[in-house]
Amino acid sequence: MIVTKAKPFDSILPFAEGRKNIFILGCNVCAAKMKTGGEPEILKLVGQLEEAGHPITGWVLPTAACSIRSFDHLISKNEKIKDADCILVMACGSGTSIVSSLTDIFVTGTNETVSLGGCSGFDLSERLCVFCGECNIGDFSGICPNARCPKAQMNGPCGGSKNGKCEVSRDSECVWYLIEKKMDSIHSIPKLHDIQMPKNHKV
Amino acid sequence: MSLKGTFKDKLNSSRFLVTGEVSPPKGIDFSPAIQNMKSIQGFADAINVTDNQCATLHMSSMAFARLMIENGYSDPVMQMTCRDRNRIGLQSDLLGAAALGIPNILVMSGDHPKCGDHPTAKPVYDFDSVQLLKTIQNLKNGYDFSGARLSASPDFCVGVVSNTDPNERLQLMKLEKKISFDVDFIQTQAVFDIEMFKAFLEKIQSDIPIIAGIIPIRSAQMACYMDANIPGITIPNEIHERIQASDDPISEGMKIAADLIKQLKPICRGVHMMPVGLHTYTEKILKKANVFE
Ligand code: SF4
Ligand code: SF4
Repeated sequence: MIVTKAKPFDSILPFAEGRKNIFILGCNVCAAKMKTGGEPEILKLVGQLEEAGHPITGWVLPTAACSIRSFDHLISKNEKIKDADCILVMACGSGTSIVSSLTDIFVTGTNETVSLGGCSGFDLSERLCVFCGECNIGDFSGICPNARCPKAQMNGPCGGSKNGKCEVSRDSECVWYLIEKKMDSIHSIPKLHDIQMPKNHKV
Repeated sequence: MSLKGTFKDKLNSSRFLVTGEVSPPKGIDFSPAIQNMKSIQGFADAINVTDNQCATLHMSSMAFARLMIENGYSDPVMQMTCRDRNRIGLQSDLLGAAALGIPNILVMSGDHPKCGDHPTAKPVYDFDSVQLLKTIQNLKNGYDFSGARLSASPDFCVGVVSNTDPNERLQLMKLEKKISFDVDFIQTQAVFDIEMFKAFLEKIQSDIPIIAGIIPIRSAQMACYMDANIPGITIPNEIHERIQASDDPISEGMKIAADLIKQLKPICRGVHMMPVGLHTYTEKILKKANVFE
């Protein structure tokens, strides 16, 4: 799941200035889950913009903003999108990019795209993967130090780890502490002794 | 007093060594930092130059190391963190450092930018310290990271850093990885607990010279702060009590440092003096510890 945060309304407002036909497009997958692009959030933004004097032409909630068949498909869901002079996409940067690629209409996003994270129950975890393109998460039994250590330490913890907490934020656990616990529980600590080579950023 | 010969030669001797640390200036007036260097250059077997320590902007360690050489000190240890340069920048600076006559390199990960004065900076960490050490080994063998041949290869004396908690098994594992790449010396985080340090030496079982870190305590608050907040530092109660009971904590801190050095002398290869601030008391502490006898 892509973790997003809604931008403050004040920072969206300038994009609405001078527009006559603003159209809103949400995302019913990650952004809906994050409460940054589902139906309730779309309706809230419609209300806020109208109150600020910017009437909304229409809105649509595709399944995933990052996976849209065609612009015609969006028209078939709400033909008002044809008349828009501004599309506000309530999704991640990827969803916004896909929508932009389908049309010449001005497009911007209403969210900050934070990371690739996930949730179990109500617990949200951020930055679980940074898309390095050569995944070796199995070397750490499913806990990626490349993504979850702020210093991407691949060969063991930095000297800043203290009582299992990370030097960068003492509120967060050092990912190497999590790796140690997990690898210990499956008797695989010796596997961590392998030297990890630098990532290939060409991929 | 320091012997003749390079730091590398001295590491191969059986002498108890003293290293120190200076910080380049925040700005371009380097004379106060050179003065600080001069206060220890008569007895320091090597002097580290910090690389934007605490992720706080200073003059580059490479430039200041060269200035030290030009000002009469031939054995600077250029600290190099992985924080600010990618693999091209790191290797390029290593070649530059060698050409400028800088003989020693100390490799570390480096504090994260969020801990310093440019918290919005992009953290690089293209390499970690283990990967940088492997690359230095390649450079010394005449090849760059991509396997291309160099016109002439550098010949650095290479050091690494380590915490000394014997119970941190993944930190020890990382140290083992580091020293698998032709490492000449290990400098440690400040040591206050000799028993713990002995247990660390026992675990590491290495012939590589280990130089123990010394930070003179200046106040009871400083001791409490370091104990609670600085990773890798553990201060035994007895030391807290000594400093709390003293009317003159600075002198007591110097005595504690000297006592620690006396106990370290038979069990490791040297001490790395890293006072907070200038080296005003470094020579006094070493004298008190009978290091020069
Ligand atoms: S190694 Fe980590 S960052 Fe790379 S793809 Fe796997 S989980 Fe993502
Ligand atoms: S404390 Fe752990 S998670 Fe934090 S930067 Fe160091 S190794 Fe990475």
